Amino acid sequence: MSDRTVADRSVELPPSGWGRRSAVAPVTPWTFGLIVILLILGQFLLVPLLTAPALQTWATVFVAICVQALPFLVFGVLLSAAITAFVPPSFWAKALPRHPYAAVPVAGAAGAVLPGCECASVPVASGLMARGVTPAAALAFLLASPAINPVVLVATAVAFPQQPLMVVSRFGASLIVAVLAGWIWLRLGRSDWLRIPSRPPASGSAWVAFRDAMRHDLLHAGGFLVVGGLTAATLNVMVPRTWLTTVAGVPVLSVIALGLLAVLLSICSEADAFVAASLTAFSPTAKLAFLVVGPMVDLKLIALQIGTFGRAFAARFVPLTFALGIVTSIAVGEVLL
Amino acid sequence: MNRMSQSLILTLLGGAVLRITVLSTTYTDYVKPGFRPFLIAAGVVVLALGVIGLVQEWREGGHRDGPHDDGAHPDGAHGHDHSRVPRVAWLLCLPVFAIFLIAPAPLGAFAARSEEAPARPPVQPAEAYVPLAADKVTPMAIGEFIGRAWSDHKRTLSGKKVTLTGFVVRSAKKDRWYVARMQMSCCAADAIALKVAVLGAERPPDDTWVEVTGTWIAPKSGKIPNGTAAPELAADGVAEIPQPIEPYE
Repeated sequence: MSDRTVADRSVELPPSGWGRRSAVAPVTPWTFGLIVILLILGQFLLVPLLTAPALQTWATVFVAICVQALPFLVFGVLLSAAITAFVPPSFWAKALPRHPYAAVPVAGAAGAVLPGCECASVPVASGLMARGVTPAAALAFLLASPAINPVVLVATAVAFPQQPLMVVSRFGASLIVAVLAGWIWLRLGRSDWLRIPSRPPASGSAWVAFRDAMRHDLLHAGGFLVVGGLTAATLNVMVPRTWLTTVAGVPVLSVIALGLLAVLLSICSEADAFVAASLTAFSPTAKLAFLVVGPMVDLKLIALQIGTFGRAFAARFVPLTFALGIVTSIAVGEVLL
Repeated sequence: MNRMSQSLILTLLGGAVLRITVLSTTYTDYVKPGFRPFLIAAGVVVLALGVIGLVQEWREGGHRDGPHDDGAHPDGAHGHDHSRVPRVAWLLCLPVFAIFLIAPAPLGAFAARSEEAPARPPVQPAEAYVPLAADKVTPMAIGEFIGRAWSDHKRTLSGKKVTLTGFVVRSAKKDRWYVARMQMSCCAADAIALKVAVLGAERPPDDTWVEVTGTWIAPKSGKIPNGTAAPELAADGVAEIPQPIEPYE
């Protein structure tokens, strides 16, 4: 698989989905000036009009998701651009075990050192793939890093002061899901499902390549982040949480319900433990499912994955991860919680 | 999408982020105050990428294969190896427009009301609550008040006067209204409503920021209804105040 990646990079073809060039007339400096003037005027004209409480609440949640995710996205994009521009491909060949089945758990465990939430992990994983890392290993890293890094584990410990085992369960279950998903992808995944982001070879200076990669990734991933933010904000405002409490008592259904809630709410993995702790009506196993599924599958992450790796990938990988997350949470919850 | 539009979007986005973090404290309506340095750093990076792009575009002017091409575009088509950004990137304008044109306020009564069952704040161990002074009014966070009312078996609230700061939320019951505060752990998307029922005072309009002074009404049955009802406060006085700089708890 890694051979294929290298071959891809040497060919200067753009990935099929990225190639559609905008048919819009070229933007001139005048357009820029016009937009800025409209924004400044609009502040005085529109702000007093757009005050409906539902719209305000929706806009607050939408802006909050985007604003909160932006530093992580910029950090992830910086790291990804640095990987492609400055780290030679031979480094990864040495750092990871040669055998793909052994590389998956190593890459998953390496997720523990990237302190960030899920928005950072997608561009980093795509940068790793572009540098020839086995896709399955990069995917294990993608799933593990937002859930098992130190910042998230400390936040979980703070949110569950009476239940130290919750931290252990979260770490264990998340790593198991990441490794299993990586292995299953390695066994059953077909390379044409996954669109590996290709990078044009850096013929200029590394800095120019770095800047161009950052700019491209930021706009590309950022656009899909906004799609995720739009859907998450809409559902956040429209679906009342009281619907949930009706299923709180049912054993397996409650676990699935909280898993789905984690997908819909799209909360940053550094904050989800506090929300899980506030869902007092639910069993610890259901809360664990919320913590395991949330960092791996949620609306903004699905949008980012579709944008980065393609629809064919997301349509298979997202259900696989969700199912693994639920089953592993139930199993780990049975043993530990 | 050409390089000019890309730079334009990045400049607008970076500018908007810096507008709400450096030039004002609006960002506290959306995220934790601790986010400020990270947001400023991200805003500076995005703005710099956009401005560098704009300056390059301006210096190169009309001639396409100018000496400023830096050799980064070996295919000869100026700036198009990385201009394969799909149109989805235009969506990055939406948060910018929302920030400037809607100027969303911090979550208020609408968000707090839609969540009927009061959420339970993270429970502190009982020792975390120091005894309160008997002779003076104690200002208190709503989360702490709920924590003391629900989980403190020493009943440190009994007979003590406290002041709570929050916004007004109406209740379905006639005899009461809520003073509420949203508690967030990361951003407004994860905010939960903390509500205390206020009895014995006229209700100001929804979303008015108030300081309510009063005494806790201990539940009639000895058992504390943990997590099932908002604790009650018998109000002595309600004062309207301007919205605090940090609207969340």
